[in-house]
Order: sequence, then C-alpha cells, then structure tokens
Amino acid sequence: MFDVNELVLKKAKELGFGDVVVLSHEMNRRQVRFANNEITVAKNWHERKVELFVELGKRIAGTTITELSEENIEQTLKTLLSNMRGMSPKEDYYGIAEGPFKYRDIPETFDKAIVELDEPNEYVERAINAALEEGAKRVAGVLYTDHDRIYLTTSNGVEAFDEGTGIEISVRAFIGDLESGHGTNSVRVLKKFDPESAGRKAGEIASLARNPEQGPEGKFDVIFDPLAFANLLSYMSFMTSAYAAEAGFSFLVNKLGQKVASEIVTIKDVGNMPNGYGTRKFDDEGVPTRETAIIENGTLKTFLLNTSLAKKYGAETTANAGLIMPHAWNIVLEPGDYSKEELFGEVKRGIYITNVWYTRFQNYVTGDFSTIPRDGIFLVENGELKPVRNIRVSDNLQHILESVEALTRESHHVHWWEVDTPVSTPYVLVKDVGITRATK
Amino acid sequence: MHELVEFAVEKALELGASYAEARFEEKNGTSLTMKNGSPEGLEILADKGIGVRVLVNGGMGFASTNVLTRESVAEAVQKAVKLARAASKVRNEPIRFSDEDFHEVYYEVKMRKDFRDVSPEEKLELLRKIEEEVKATGVNVPMRFLSYSDQVWHKVIANSDGAFIESFIPRVSTTYNLVVFENGQMEQAPFVQRAFSGGLELIEKDEPWKWAAKDVQALKRLIYEGRKPPEGKVDLVISPEVAGIAVHESVGHPYEADRIFGREAAQAGESFVKPEMLGERIGSEVVTVIEDPTIPNSWGFYLYDDEGVKARPRYLIRDGIITEFLTNREYAYRLGQRSNAAARAINYNREPIVRMANTYLAPGDYSLEELIEDIKLGVYMVSFNEWNIDDRRYQQRYIGREAYLIEDGEIKHPVRRPILEITTRALWSSVDAVGREVEFYPGTCGKGEPGQGVPVWMGGAHARLRDIPLRRP
Repeated sequence: MFDVNELVLKKAKELGFGDVVVLSHEMNRRQVRFANNEITVAKNWHERKVELFVELGKRIAGTTITELSEENIEQTLKTLLSNMRGMSPKEDYYGIAEGPFKYRDIPETFDKAIVELDEPNEYVERAINAALEEGAKRVAGVLYTDHDRIYLTTSNGVEAFDEGTGIEISVRAFIGDLESGHGTNSVRVLKKFDPESAGRKAGEIASLARNPEQGPEGKFDVIFDPLAFANLLSYMSFMTSAYAAEAGFSFLVNKLGQKVASEIVTIKDVGNMPNGYGTRKFDDEGVPTRETAIIENGTLKTFLLNTSLAKKYGAETTANAGLIMPHAWNIVLEPGDYSKEELFGEVKRGIYITNVWYTRFQNYVTGDFSTIPRDGIFLVENGELKPVRNIRVSDNLQHILESVEALTRESHHVHWWEVDTPVSTPYVLVKDVGITRATK
Repeated sequence: MHELVEFAVEKALELGASYAEARFEEKNGTSLTMKNGSPEGLEILADKGIGVRVLVNGGMGFASTNVLTRESVAEAVQKAVKLARAASKVRNEPIRFSDEDFHEVYYEVKMRKDFRDVSPEEKLELLRKIEEEVKATGVNVPMRFLSYSDQVWHKVIANSDGAFIESFIPRVSTTYNLVVFENGQMEQAPFVQRAFSGGLELIEKDEPWKWAAKDVQALKRLIYEGRKPPEGKVDLVISPEVAGIAVHESVGHPYEADRIFGREAAQAGESFVKPEMLGERIGSEVVTVIEDPTIPNSWGFYLYDDEGVKARPRYLIRDGIITEFLTNREYAYRLGQRSNAAARAINYNREPIVRMANTYLAPGDYSLEELIEDIKLGVYMVSFNEWNIDDRRYQQRYIGREAYLIEDGEIKHPVRRPILEITTRALWSSVDAVGREVEFYPGTCGKGEPGQGVPVWMGGAHARLRDIPLRRP
C-alpha cells in the first residue's frame, strides 16, 4: 500500500499541508465466540484503511480513509483543508519526528503458520475440553487470529513497514451460577499457543471456587492473580500518557521524579517486546519502539510521549505516538524473586483475587477507584484457600502501588476484553487493601 | 447501495444459508476537542461498509468488508457462509430465529440546524462557551477537557425474511471532564455528556455550559462546605441521573436475554435473572422500569432494530414485577416469544446483539418536596462518579458526586462521597415513592466482543429509598 501512501502524501503536500502522516493498515482478523460449550458465532474481518494526520500552520486534523480511489483521497484532503482554514491553531503543537530511522526485526511477531491456518475451531474445542476435564460444566470465551500489515509514510522522511500475526484465547468456565474461573493465552506465533492452559486454569479456579460464602470486609493483604493485576495496570497505562495527565485523567499529575510506588515496583512500557501482543516496530511517527521505564524502583521517571509533547516538556519522545494521544504498547511490571508458594506463604490471613472487572474511578486525579473481583475469590488462611463471593476492592491506585509487598518470579502476558493494553505481570501481594461489600 | 445489500442476501441464500441479513452503514461526522483552552484538533469521520450475517445448518457466521464492490461483498458472503457451516459442527442445538412481521420502511430524524452546514470553528465556539461560563463562575478549574462530536448514521438493512429498512439518524453530543482545585483539594466531574439524536439546535437548547458551570460550583461548594455523610440506615433520595444509572445497570443489563442464556458469559457476564423469573416480584409496587427506543430525539433512538424488527416501548418491570426481557430473534425463539427489537450493532463490522436503548424509571406522583419533606435523616444524591456492578448484575455501588444531607424534611449542606453499595433486590424493594418528572442522561453502553459502545439514554424520575445502609469512604 506504499503506492497509496505516496499518493496521499504527494496530494497533501500539493495542497500546502505541513506535517503529514499516512498510516495504512491491511487487517485480517478472525473470531470464534463460544458459550455453553458451543460456538455462538464465527466472524471474519478484512479491512484496508488509511489513517491520515495533517498539520496546517499548527492546526491539526485527522481522518481515516477507507475508499482508496484517487478521487476520494483528493476529496478527503480538500475537505480537511477547507475545515482547517478557519480554525484556531493548537499553540502547543511542536511537530513530528524527523526520519528516516533504521528498524530491527523483532523476534516472534510474525508467523506464516497463523496466516495459513485454515480452521481455528479445533483450538476452541481443545480449550473447552481442558476446562471440562477440570470439572467445569459450562465454558464460554473467544478466540482470535490476527494478521496485520502496516505501512507508514511521513512528510519527515519515514517509510516503514511491519507485518504481524497473533492468536489468542480467553476462556471462562462455570460450575454453578456463582462458581467460575478465567484463563487467557495470547501469543504471536502458533507454536507457542496453548489454549489448553487457558481452559485448564479457568476450570481449576471454577472447581476450587465451589460453594462460596459471603466474603468479609475491611483491610486485607491481597494476592492479585496476574489476570486481576493486569486489569489495574491496563487502566494505569492510560494514566501514564502525558495527554491523560494534561486532560485531568491521571493520579500521576505533577509527580514526575516522585515516589509513587513501593521500591520493588518497576513498570515499563516495552514496545519492542518479542511475542508481545501490542508489539510494533515503530510508533505512529515512525520512531523505532523501545523499552521505557515509567516507574523505576517506585519513582515516576516519565510520562509516555510523542515528539510534540516531548518538545513541549523539553524531553525526548518515548516512541509512544499516538499523534494526538501517546499510548503504551506492552506494559510490564518487572517480576520479583518469590515463588508462587512462597508468596502465598507470606499471607496469614488474606484474600486471593483471581480476576477483576468494571474498574471505575471516583476521581482520576486522586486515583480513588473500585473494581469487582469476578470468578474465584478465596480467603487465604495459613496456606488454605476458602472460596468467598460478593466483595469489592475499594481503594486508591497509588496506595495499591505503594503497598506492593512481594512479586513472584513467574509472570504472565495478559490481553483480553478487560485488558485492552497488553500487560505482563507476576502474582502481586499488596498489603492493606480496602475490601467492601453490600450489606443489604 | 440497495442493490449491493440485496445482492449479498441473495448470494448467501444461493450458497446454502437458511437465513441471510446484510447491513450497509455509513457514518459521516466531525469531532473536536479542547484541552485547557487550546483546540486539540479536528477529526473527520467518513466510514462505510457492509456486514453480512448468515445461518447455515444452525451455525452463525458474520463477515464484513469496507470495499464496496460486488466481488468484495461476494467474498465476505462466502466467508460468512463457510464460518457458519464450520461453527454448526460445534453446536448442541441449531440456532433458530423467531417469526416476525417485516416491513419495507424509510425513516429519518430531521435536523432543524443541520450540523453538516456548520463550520468546525463555529462548533468549537460551543466548547469555548463552556470554557467561558466555567471561568465566569470564579471557580479554579485547572484541568478542562472538552469535546464535541456529530455524526449522521445512514443504514440499509435487508434480510431474507422480507425486511428492508433504510434510516438516517443524526447524533450530536458534547462531553466534559472538569477538575476543580480549591483549598488544596481536588474534585472532579469526569465524562459528563449531553447528547441527542437530531440537529445542532438540540445542543444549543440544552446549553451544556450551564451544566458545566453548575457542576464546578457544586464541587467548589462541596470542597468548602462538604461534611461526612451520615452512616448506617438512613433514607436516600436519588435524582433522575442516579436512578438512570441504577436502572441501566441493575434492570436493563440483567434482563438482556443473551446474558440470561449465557452467550455473554465470557465478556459482559451472565445474569441473576432466570427465564422462570418472569412474573416474579423484584421491587416495590411503585417501581416500573421502561425501555423505549422510540423516544423522539433520544440518544438511543431507533424505530427498527438491526434485525429489521419494529421497535416499541418495553416494560421490564411493571409495578415491581418482572414482565419482559430484552430480546433479539435468536433469544425470542428460545423463549417462545416474538422479538421486542433489542438487536443493535454499533457499525457495519459488528453483529447485532441484545442491547438497551433508553431505559428509565417511570414516574410516580410525588414532587421532589414531597419526597424530601417526611425524611428525618437522609441524603439526596444528585449526581455520581464511581459506579460498578458485578457480572450477574446483583451487587452494585454508586458514589455521589453532588449530594446533600436531608434533615427534618429539608435539604442542608453538601456531603462528601456518600456510598450506596447494595444488592439489586434490596435496591428496588426499598423504593417507597417516585417523583413526577422524568429526565434523561446520555451514556455509552459497553457490551460485546469486539466492544460495541452503543448510545443510550438512562433516566427516570426521582425516587425515595427507605432504610438504606449508606457508607462513607
């Protein structure tokens, strides 16, 4: 699609635009949704589209072109131009990255076997069967296969191409109405795909969660399963964008250089992570993606930046463009040195939360939030797990990060419906977490 | 486009589908944002494509394309048929659809002030007006994120059972996030939206700047005068806005038939409601909850759903009794009923699934003063920030943003973050009186995978809840 990109760029320059970014996608995506141990729907998407960003005297605009005829491209650019002429400039706009750049291939991001995979239903059946073998009665979930090609051309000399594949599954297993478990597996190459592990974990947790009692409330030491902590970190990833901080959606506002987490907490964004579900060779300006420490040993080191925001704050881009809003690629909470057994052994009386959903903030700037454990929840007492239900985590995101007490060596890469930005995280022990419940 | 949609349906039948449906959708619009007084940029939306859904041997397949040629549509149809056939092998029961009456219909929502004729700069003026009115209050609001969006949705839906529906629905909205910083404290009104189906005149008449100014003034007052809310069992009056979120989360969602039958189990969850609970009491006699897509100019407006079924008001709870679930054709068949037209898709590349439109607590016969006057000790919750509910829609929580103490029948000083954390049955059983006036508030309802955020209104009348265990942060 570079020919389309070149055409868009040429026409845009002819019309007098300054900075121009043309990011084209060719996407092939398949989905198999299942519930009650059967497939509810199977889908296929094939899409070609051009994402376009243009600047005209510090006025910026964007659109997506899906009809790629020369006539429509020209028409779209003219529409943008006429709309932008009368607009006020964005005074804090400082341009896009100066290319060209050199790119390295990132291991385990493309696999021909996924492109050529004819029929993914057997993986669904394998996941369902694994969950049923662990004692589940009903199994639901979704499987995706992905094949994406992206082509980037900018007015600052960038011409870059990346091709990626992926296959992932999310499985939820039920025994009764109140006993459920969840497992996921997201990889970029077929040989690493393990749908059984997702089904087995979902089934195991559901089995352990039989006959739950009403849970307690108060302050508890909580072990967050990677699935659960990934949810919180995925929400947090948005708050690490400089854009979110400016717009009042982040508890990290005005905290650069300050301690915002326990010393054992190091959180990175790794755009070039092998086998990472969010991995890409370059950001939307063409800057090669890299590893960026956001929080290092508890201290906030940087917000995620694109070139314009970086210049505004006298910093370097972190290769996280998003031309309007920088965003994370793969969030990584660095693992610790505990085994899973040792971590659970640290807890005399606490709670093990295997999954959460519906995280909502009372106040983004203070970080006050609550989230609801779903699937197996367990009271941990001297190494024993006792299933409970109907509790809510009601706390503050910074307090949670500051109270991280221990991390396992074992880490999991999580990406599913509730974890939009992929997250790699260990099991996390957090002290004194607020737990509430309905009393009527 | 009509021809291409008909072609898709015919092609699917030719290839062996027992049912076929094709939906062309085109969305055109603009959005603008302003951050801390600075315009952030313009986004122009121009998106169109066709989605095809088929049943083959009782399996369901879906495919979409944004390349609008016969070849490309034929390819999408082939894929959908192939996927459906393969899916049918991993089913216990074939999928069947309810019988319905179908029509050939054209309808549109008229704009008195057509936003397509208005320049982006003029639309930006609406956001500047919010900036000015917020500034004019004298309240310190260091973070201000404002956005404006308009879109015309054009749809053509055809199915092999005889439906042919074409519609034009314009939608227009503004949203703000305002952070008030006074006296060393921060309070926030995040993602507050005003939204309608219709022209720009609806936003101008609604005056979002007045809502914004009222919000920041209330937050300032909360910072300076706010005290702890009472704890323990008190009475609670919830506003139409709070009633709206409560009916949406704890009535609308659990009454979605696809959740009741487990289709959403891995994503948006299941439901505490079971098919045999029709006719069962869930709330007090004064509680009636209606779901109505046909409210003129509503954010969730439509007259025919995305399966081509004619929409009507749906009584989910009548006088405290569960009376109806939200259904599409697949689950109407399972229930032995006719569909009540709740199938919606957010775009051509999404399947229609069971969704809400405009959900509200039906009015009673009390004025707000009458609701308040015989409360000895209570709280009036006007707006909320944090909220959530478990995935069976039973255990929920709403935290007040603007809220006041009620003492001896009078509204007194603001209270900070009163927390209502309660079960669905307790919530609706505790209502002893409902107000006369209904108001609506917009929202984006999330469900499905991939996600489908659909526009909805939520609302209702004021409601009084007796003996509620309120919490403090």
